[in-house]
Amino acid sequence: MIAIQNASLSYKGKQAVDSLSLTVAGGEIYGLLGPNGAGKSTTMNMLLGFLKPDSGKTIIAGINTSEQAGTSRKHIGYIPENVNLYPYLSGIENLDYFCKIANLHYSRQELSGFLTKCGLREEALNRRTETYSKGMRQKVGIAIAYAKKASAYLLDEPASGLDPLASNELSLLLKKLADEGAAILMASHDIFRVRETCHRIGILKHGVLVNEMHTSAVTANELEKIYLNYMQD
Amino acid sequence: MKQIIINELKMLFRVRVLVYLTALFIITLIMVTWSGSAQTSQQQQQQQAAGEHVREQWESIDNMNPHSAAHYGSYVFKPVTSLSSIDEGINSITGNVLRLEGHMQNEIIYSEASQTLSVSKFGKLKPSLLLQYIIPLLLIFLAFASVSSEKETGRLKLLVLQGASLRSVIFSKAISVWMYGLLLLAVTVAGQMIINSQGIGKDSLIRITLLSLVYSAYYYIITLLSTWFSARLKTNTASLSSMLGLWLLWTIFLPRIWGNTTDKLYPLPSRQNFTAAMQEDRSQGLDGHNPSDKRSEEFKQQTLAKYKVTSLQDLPVNFDGLRMQADEEYGNAVWDKHFGNNYGLLQKQKKFYQLSGIINPFASLQSTGMALSGSDMHHHLDFLQQAENYRRTLIKTLNDQHAFGGSKTGERAQKENNQFYRSISQFEYKMPSWKLISIHYVTDFLLLAIWVLAITIIVFTTSKKIKLA
Repeated sequence: MIAIQNASLSYKGKQAVDSLSLTVAGGEIYGLLGPNGAGKSTTMNMLLGFLKPDSGKTIIAGINTSEQAGTSRKHIGYIPENVNLYPYLSGIENLDYFCKIANLHYSRQELSGFLTKCGLREEALNRRTETYSKGMRQKVGIAIAYAKKASAYLLDEPASGLDPLASNELSLLLKKLADEGAAILMASHDIFRVRETCHRIGILKHGVLVNEMHTSAVTANELEKIYLNYMQD
Repeated sequence: MKQIIINELKMLFRVRVLVYLTALFIITLIMVTWSGSAQTSQQQQQQQAAGEHVREQWESIDNMNPHSAAHYGSYVFKPVTSLSSIDEGINSITGNVLRLEGHMQNEIIYSEASQTLSVSKFGKLKPSLLLQYIIPLLLIFLAFASVSSEKETGRLKLLVLQGASLRSVIFSKAISVWMYGLLLLAVTVAGQMIINSQGIGKDSLIRITLLSLVYSAYYYIITLLSTWFSARLKTNTASLSSMLGLWLLWTIFLPRIWGNTTDKLYPLPSRQNFTAAMQEDRSQGLDGHNPSDKRSEEFKQQTLAKYKVTSLQDLPVNFDGLRMQADEEYGNAVWDKHFGNNYGLLQKQKKFYQLSGIINPFASLQSTGMALSGSDMHHHLDFLQQAENYRRTLIKTLNDQHAFGGSKTGERAQKENNQFYRSISQFEYKMPSWKLISIHYVTDFLLLAIWVLAITIIVFTTSKKIKLA
């Protein structure tokens, strides 16, 4: 479970997040919409334990991330906008390395299984990642979190720069992970991808959660209108 | 940490440019080590041939007056050791041939720098040039972006989220680059030991081990500092320019600035003043070749009184020999006074220069590197001292033979046969042990150790403060 309880944080002299509260249950995908500077990355960094809220709490799997960052991180799978892997290592070597850092020792077969489950084609496993597309690197990034058996996935602008096919593959993969019980928080400004992927959506503006809704309650066009209305104010 | 180090090394050797560069470097190091050893071996052969020739000349002396033999004199050669092929220190500028004769202490001559334009201008290409200047530069280039690139790409966040601590990332990155430096160092040391396997004894082995430790310590300082800059500074450019600035300061500017300050604080007399002062003091003493000299007369009266006779003809010994030795001993005392004064000043200079190691570990590396290779000031002064001791023994033996060999005062026809000259042993330089030399460099060893410890503590305590968000 991912929870933010009345968290506020001023960052570099600006109120980046203001009394933010939201919860993402296991098996749920939550889309956090907002323009650049809305506070999405700050929210992510608080959940990752890299920033401490001035007030309120950020919780992952029941653990306060600012008080027990090390422990809470064990449950987090983080996929940034650009998953930069080690270019001179293959996909499987990258996964093996990140797993070993987490003290997880898997066989080659198990590592291959994680990668293929996350959508990487068999023939790409042993290729150096310098030849990978952004979508392929993202799949390795998700495989790293998956191999870690993360219960909470935090994705920062994951669909940015992906072609429609890769973007669709990402949505399907996230849904699969949610079906397995993961809580997923996805920060984005891609309205249509969020509408397509998430169960619930929150709109963040100047660090304040101005609206929250179920995706089943709105069409893509309606969501766009709501979003644009908030942004025009 | 182990996983990060393995990964770093794996990646280092997957970068094709670096593999080629490493191969080129290793080939260069082996060639330079080989050529340094070949030069040393050639010099050793030349010295041996010259030494044998000089000895042959000495042993061929027959029917010669002992004092004439003292003027005939001999030559000694400062030996070139196998280790000096790693770092020739001050050897190329100090000269290596010393003429030994009665009445005077000559200066050592025939430095390589005075005979070869390229050596005087650029110095010789020795492994020390690569080990002290080029490899640290290469390590800086490998380490300056090691953490900052991880930060820029976001991989550092991923590593931390996987459970790695910032401290372990920084130390692992530094250690992997350091290990690369150690590989290059090991190649040089192994090359040196294989090429010179016959000339390496226990003392040399200890010296090589200490030399490796000293270089390892310096490489550790360079790599850890570069990695720390990479973690602390905002951009790769800032990290690289800071380390290059420090490298320039340590290797080019500070040694010269500190050296010039040392010269100003403890100035050595100019050669002209030194010679003039020696001559002035020497003129106050007895002149062995001038019997009418006032001090010679005093010495004559003392000798007559000692032997309880009234004329030189009644002496059971040859007074000419005694006077020559008295002249020699006075000259020795003058030399001891002036050389001792210079030695004292050189010691003060050395001690002051060693203190620069507080802000410049390169100074400590350079000093200990020369010392362990047997090419520093202390080895040079030790050679001069041993040669002077031999000269004194040689001249005293000749003067004693002149005085007590059975001739009477004024008998210039006294001649000694070939057997006598052959009985005088040859000069053999005994290189001081590593222990004796190390005593002079405790400050440098200590400062290098303090640098290693201090930089480790700084990185250990500050790495947590690096912000990732």
